[in-house]
Amino acid sequence: MNNLSIQMEGVSKRYPHFFLDSISLELREGSVLGFIGANGAGKSTTIRILMGLVRQDAGSVQVLGHSMPAEQTAAKLDIGFVSEDMRLYGAATLRWHMSFVASMYPRWDQAYADTLLRRFDLKPEQKIKGLSHGQRVKAALLLALARQPRLLILDEPTTGLDPVARREVLGELMSVLTDEGRTIFFSSHNTLEVEQISDHIAFIDRGRLIALDEKEDLLDRWRRVRLMVPPNAAVPQLPGVVEVAGTERLPVLTTSQFDPAVVSLCQNRGVTVEAVDSMTLEEIFVANVQSRRELQPA
Amino acid sequence: MNSSRINLAVVRHLILKDWYLNRGIILGSIPVGLGALALVLTGKPVTFMLCIIILCMVIVGVGAQLAFATTINERKEQTLAFVMSLPVSWREYTAAKILANLIIFLIPWLLLTAGALGVLLLPGATHGLLPFTAIMAVEMLVTTTLIVVAGIITESQAWTMAGIFCSSLGINVLGYVFAHLRGISMHMWGTRVQWTSTACIILICELLTVPLLLGATFYVQSRKTDFL
Repeated sequence: MNNLSIQMEGVSKRYPHFFLDSISLELREGSVLGFIGANGAGKSTTIRILMGLVRQDAGSVQVLGHSMPAEQTAAKLDIGFVSEDMRLYGAATLRWHMSFVASMYPRWDQAYADTLLRRFDLKPEQKIKGLSHGQRVKAALLLALARQPRLLILDEPTTGLDPVARREVLGELMSVLTDEGRTIFFSSHNTLEVEQISDHIAFIDRGRLIALDEKEDLLDRWRRVRLMVPPNAAVPQLPGVVEVAGTERLPVLTTSQFDPAVVSLCQNRGVTVEAVDSMTLEEIFVANVQSRRELQPA
Repeated sequence: MNSSRINLAVVRHLILKDWYLNRGIILGSIPVGLGALALVLTGKPVTFMLCIIILCMVIVGVGAQLAFATTINERKEQTLAFVMSLPVSWREYTAAKILANLIIFLIPWLLLTAGALGVLLLPGATHGLLPFTAIMAVEMLVTTTLIVVAGIITESQAWTMAGIFCSSLGINVLGYVFAHLRGISMHMWGTRVQWTSTACIILICELLTVPLLLGATFYVQSRKTDFL
């Protein structure tokens, strides 16, 4: 399980109004990476480079052992790709799409496709143009999953879905996770979804990868520390503080390198630790982005 | 993006896809074209002209519609991302687009061209028109290739529309020019088929233009860095 499914090294891509700046990223086989970024942060560009659809200006990309974009055909035989801006042919039925995709993938699993049809409540004879947005996403997911991919790349697949459809899609993704050999690269700006299914998290902002870590480590390291500082005491220098809010006497520190020893350190300096709050992934993402932007304005 | 080998099975699947999605317009165009050819059988000059106009409209229209549906709409309707998510390289995609458009276009084109030439060979018909008709038929093939190439390379509705406009204009202008060339006009209304050197050179030049355009398309496509 130590094989790398994705390996990006110093990948850059320049557009007139956007620069993807030296992205380096590794993802081991069987991992689920949640790729989080605001709109326009570079998620889709990164994914297009991963799929071999856009050639990087600099750096190297290996996907499932294939150099991209040169060996994209071989790589894509093992990739299932669903993107928010990907559409199926409106005039054709889902059954036609299934047989079209099956003709390209030797490992197409028709029995699994039929199971997904029932699970997603999709009618194969229905034309795509007659499907709702949620049904179209589920159809695209079916086409990606039934080809038995080793790597699943999902670019904001749940955008615009109603809560029921989102739950169904996420539920299916969760069941896919039981296959330990399958790697998932899941891009979204919905941190709640990412938190649910991912074991690794990457943050991207303004074309730069600003964090890449195991989810549990990330959630453990980020804390909001509420202090009470007496008039004659000073807040000690704490590691990894990215934001100080509150008042002088009641400061609230956001740290990316929380250590339980911080509590005793504060107490030794006469500062009372009122509370140590864990943070949600969304709070961590926002704090991380804001602190980076303050350090490196656009 | 150099995936050097072309997988013919993948190309075939992509061609069949385009045929399936566009079969309606092709199959619909054939009876319209054959109906136009039937007009010639009335033997009147006015119906002959009407037949030529309808045939041109049908053939050019089919070519333009195909180019639009298979290239521009694929990008506009965001189905390109779906196709390119499959194990398809840019070479296979380009080859499939060119072949799909030409093969599908050749179905009505061959049928209607053969029909038109056949009608001109009927007893009592103006047989001398045959070389000019052949030249114009091949001109329409060149025109369609140009439109397809514009669609594939630019992926732009505006540029493809410009290609259609220039091609339509080109057919009329070239048709007028060819009809007034001495080597063609001299025998055009005669009762015998005369393949003059002028007619042969024009036909050969037209036929050579097609592979030249296709080669240029592959060259330009190979220099593209972004497919989406």
